[in-house]
Amino acid sequence: MSTAVDPIERYSRQVRFPMLGEAGQRKLMASRVTICGCGALGTVLANHLVRAGVGNIRIVDRDFIETHNLQRQILFDEQDVADNLPKAEAAARKLRLINSQVNIEAVVTDIDHTNILDLVADADLILDGTDNFETRYLINDAAVKLNKPWVFGGVIGSEGQSMTIRPGITPCIRCVVQDNPPPGMTPTCETAGVLGPAVSVVASFEAVEAIKILSGAYDALNTELFVIDIWDWTFRRLKIKNLLGKVDCPCCQQKKFEWLEGDLGSHTTTLCGRNAVQIATRRSEKLNFAEMATRLNSLADVRHNAFMLRFAAEGHEFTVFPDGRAIIKGTNDISKARTLYAQFVGN
Amino acid sequence: MPVVRIPTPLRPHTDGQDSVESTGTTVGEVLGNVGTKYPALKERIFDDAGELRRFVNVYLNNEDIRYLDDLATAVAANDEVSIIPAVAGG
Ligand SMILES: [Zn+2]
Repeated sequence: MSTAVDPIERYSRQVRFPMLGEAGQRKLMASRVTICGCGALGTVLANHLVRAGVGNIRIVDRDFIETHNLQRQILFDEQDVADNLPKAEAAARKLRLINSQVNIEAVVTDIDHTNILDLVADADLILDGTDNFETRYLINDAAVKLNKPWVFGGVIGSEGQSMTIRPGITPCIRCVVQDNPPPGMTPTCETAGVLGPAVSVVASFEAVEAIKILSGAYDALNTELFVIDIWDWTFRRLKIKNLLGKVDCPCCQQKKFEWLEGDLGSHTTTLCGRNAVQIATRRSEKLNFAEMATRLNSLADVRHNAFMLRFAAEGHEFTVFPDGRAIIKGTNDISKARTLYAQFVGN
Repeated sequence: MPVVRIPTPLRPHTDGQDSVESTGTTVGEVLGNVGTKYPALKERIFDDAGELRRFVNVYLNNEDIRYLDDLATAVAANDEVSIIPAVAGG
């Protein structure tokens, strides 16, 4: 290893960009970000920020990698699928190879009202790599309560949206999207498909907003709802700035944090369009996978590593995480999934 | 005539069209007249009391109507009314 090389040297090409400069770069290197969700948007976000030298990055994701993710989730490969790695862990491994100067923390968990504050409390910025509005409302409540900026991004098909939220300065997500749209109004990536380039465009807009916020370039931030369709080449900036204070927002105006308090939302949920149910539990003691594998050894194909245990039973594929949470594929029926969980995993 | 832009998930209710011409001098009239022609669309954007559903955002040109005059916002002949649902995926 060479010595006495200024760690900033590797960023010389972006330091030369005058709006960032060396002072901006040093701020990025001293920053801390939480990326919520590490799927399509999250992998692109994490890739940009780690390469740009944002100093401390926490990546939170509840899911494992499947082959159909590889079309757009840029940090993963076929070996990660074969190794049964959770997304957050696989992303962290790849990112550490990309930039060893960045402190990367992988957290494999379902973001909910019990853990969101801990996950974002020390962050300068929260980034949205999620695929659902329940989690976004939770991020929004936490961000407004703790007065932290966050950047929303959503993508479906060839369409995407993004918005930068600074509590008290811009409208929050509940000012703009007042209610969680029901199925049928917002198709999911599983039903409507999604193009990798659409993800990259939206996540790249989020990433550049992140670089502006962390380097202090607040005047350059997006203050509108950005809406793009990369297929039919439309690009709109919808004016929403004046909604601040105009809408009697439960979150940023009334300071009622209904999602954070757990009044709204559930975490045992069907994973829309995937024919799968997530069973949410949180145990104080970690599951002993070796013991479970022995108990389940009459079943087909029981495999486990440090991050998950997987087996097949009664035509369903079970993926169990150390905290007891499980994803059961092959059903959309929550009560059936609970029964299967009780039967094979335990209570 | 004012034009109403239909988002992708609602196009099955407008025979696949991405925009529909309408008549009226307010946002409420313009959307109401499209809704008369396409009742399945009306059901998705208005509730039983005739109010916009809370997850439906409507823009006159590029302005959110909630800081204008909501459904009473005046519409000129060459204006564009857009229904823009939030994009949830990622
Ligand atoms: Zn608000």
